[in-house]
Amino acid sequence: MTSRSIGGGQKILVVDDEHMSDLMRSVLRRLEADGFRPVVVAPDGEHVTGDDYETHTLFALQAERPSAVLLDVRFGEYDTDRFKGLSILKKIVEHDSKMPVLMFTQYAQGPYRDTAVSASLGASASVDFIDKLASPEEVVLRLRRLIGSAPETIKIGSLFELDADNAAVYAIDNGRRDLIREIQGMKLDILNELASAMYRSEGELVPFSRLERFSDGEDSRASLRVRIRELKVSLGRAVSREFGANELIINVRNRGYRLVNPTD
Amino acid sequence: MSGRSLKIVSVTVASVGLALILLSPIIGELINPGSLWWIDPIAYIGAGIFIVGSLAAFTVMQLVSRTTSGTNDDRSWSQVTQDYFDTFAHDMGRPLRRILGKQREARALLNETGEVSQHMIAELLDEIENQAPNFRLMIENVRVLVDLEDRSAAPIIEPVDAAAIVRNVSDRYSPIARERGLELVWWCEPSEFGLVYGDGSALDHVITNLVDNATKFAEGHIEIRLTRSDSSFLVRVWDDGSGIAESHLAHVFDRGWTPELSARSEKQSSGLGLFIASSLSERCGGELLVESRQSNGASPGEHYTTFTLALPLDNRPVATD
Repeated sequence: MTSRSIGGGQKILVVDDEHMSDLMRSVLRRLEADGFRPVVVAPDGEHVTGDDYETHTLFALQAERPSAVLLDVRFGEYDTDRFKGLSILKKIVEHDSKMPVLMFTQYAQGPYRDTAVSASLGASASVDFIDKLASPEEVVLRLRRLIGSAPETIKIGSLFELDADNAAVYAIDNGRRDLIREIQGMKLDILNELASAMYRSEGELVPFSRLERFSDGEDSRASLRVRIRELKVSLGRAVSREFGANELIINVRNRGYRLVNPTD
Repeated sequence: MSGRSLKIVSVTVASVGLALILLSPIIGELINPGSLWWIDPIAYIGAGIFIVGSLAAFTVMQLVSRTTSGTNDDRSWSQVTQDYFDTFAHDMGRPLRRILGKQREARALLNETGEVSQHMIAELLDEIENQAPNFRLMIENVRVLVDLEDRSAAPIIEPVDAAAIVRNVSDRYSPIARERGLELVWWCEPSEFGLVYGDGSALDHVITNLVDNATKFAEGHIEIRLTRSDSSFLVRVWDDGSGIAESHLAHVFDRGWTPELSARSEKQSSGLGLFIASSLSERCGGELLVESRQSNGASPGEHYTTFTLALPLDNRPVATD
């Protein structure tokens, strides 16, 4: 339930003749769990060729209006279809030059990459490549970044919710959202900065250089340290807890800070 | 058939072998649900196919380079092939051993008691999942090696979002680091890093090898830092492992550098990844440096290994008059 909001019900068009394989099923399951709505392109008939996929994909682009496309390079057992995915990619980009496309390649970035890039027509195309053996989590992360729009609210574990648009942070208790009034101004900015980094990438650290604008006085690091301690105390008080040095907001030795999901 | 397509075919065969090994539990389950008997034979067949494929790849590679350019290498052709093969066998054997170990334990229990605990199955599945990045990296390493032998091939220069590449590698290795109790963090300065002109695929591959290496040796922390200066950008991968002896530092990037000789010995790496990372960096007009402080004499937290990759910000060819 906590992750429901990530995908926000956005449609993802899935174009892969192996969409029934276990590997792809795990990806589809993950997409659904994260709140996306995968729409699988599956032409009927006995001898489905790459061309059938191409026609159906173009039709689905108009009918379904997906937020992104997940596309395989290889189609079918026919030799002529070996790189059919690239020609479908080309058609997608011709149809909508801004459509985010995440392309599955067989061997990491492999020798297909160059061919694919030249086929993708222009630098504005939002195309990325991922190894088919990548974990479902990695696929979803990549897709999410490709689509690009940050969510209105970022969940911090199951305890907090940050609403950047309305400049508010809430404590969550059994589905009820309680506004934490103490956190506003620079403290909220700091939290926003840390939460955005966490949303983008699990291991991303926010260096001091980026946080120092949220501090003042001669010793900006000390002032920042104080603000972060206050922030941590306010967050803790809202959920009747005390967060230790290695919880929630962690100071990474002389580098910066990072936010980690609190344990329940 | 041209040399290039022969290369691709042989690499594909090797990759199929790897895939067979990796998927052996699933295939075994399909053939005879409920029994673990088939996993072993399938994995062995996979290993066989991999060996044939890699040998073919290097044979082709050597033939092609012989016909296109005379070789000045002192070592004989068979010696080079042998070296390659040894390192591959070493790198491939490790993840395979770990998976097979868990699997055999489970089967022994199955034979004895007639059932396997949920816990054991979960452990086996986790092991397979955790070894997946190793196999991915090896498949890619084989491809890059074959590519590197082709001296006529030039890096592909395109606008690259270097921060996105570091982020992707971090995402790929975060679950593995977490599993091993390591903290993996990354950051870039400036925060809006911007584009560089270079070979994105090569950059991804070099960083992947460095981070993969760091996850093997770190004791608690791994850091990836991306910075830029006027003309170049730097990727620094730092780990708090026990460090490399000074006498070994000079050989870290050698092909066939055998870790059995080094302090990092029991930590299961052939060093092939670092050789590839270093060669690839040079081909992209940059360099890869290593710096290390060993644990003897240093207090905890003071021993480390740092790999620094330096690449030009703009690697587009300069027009000459």
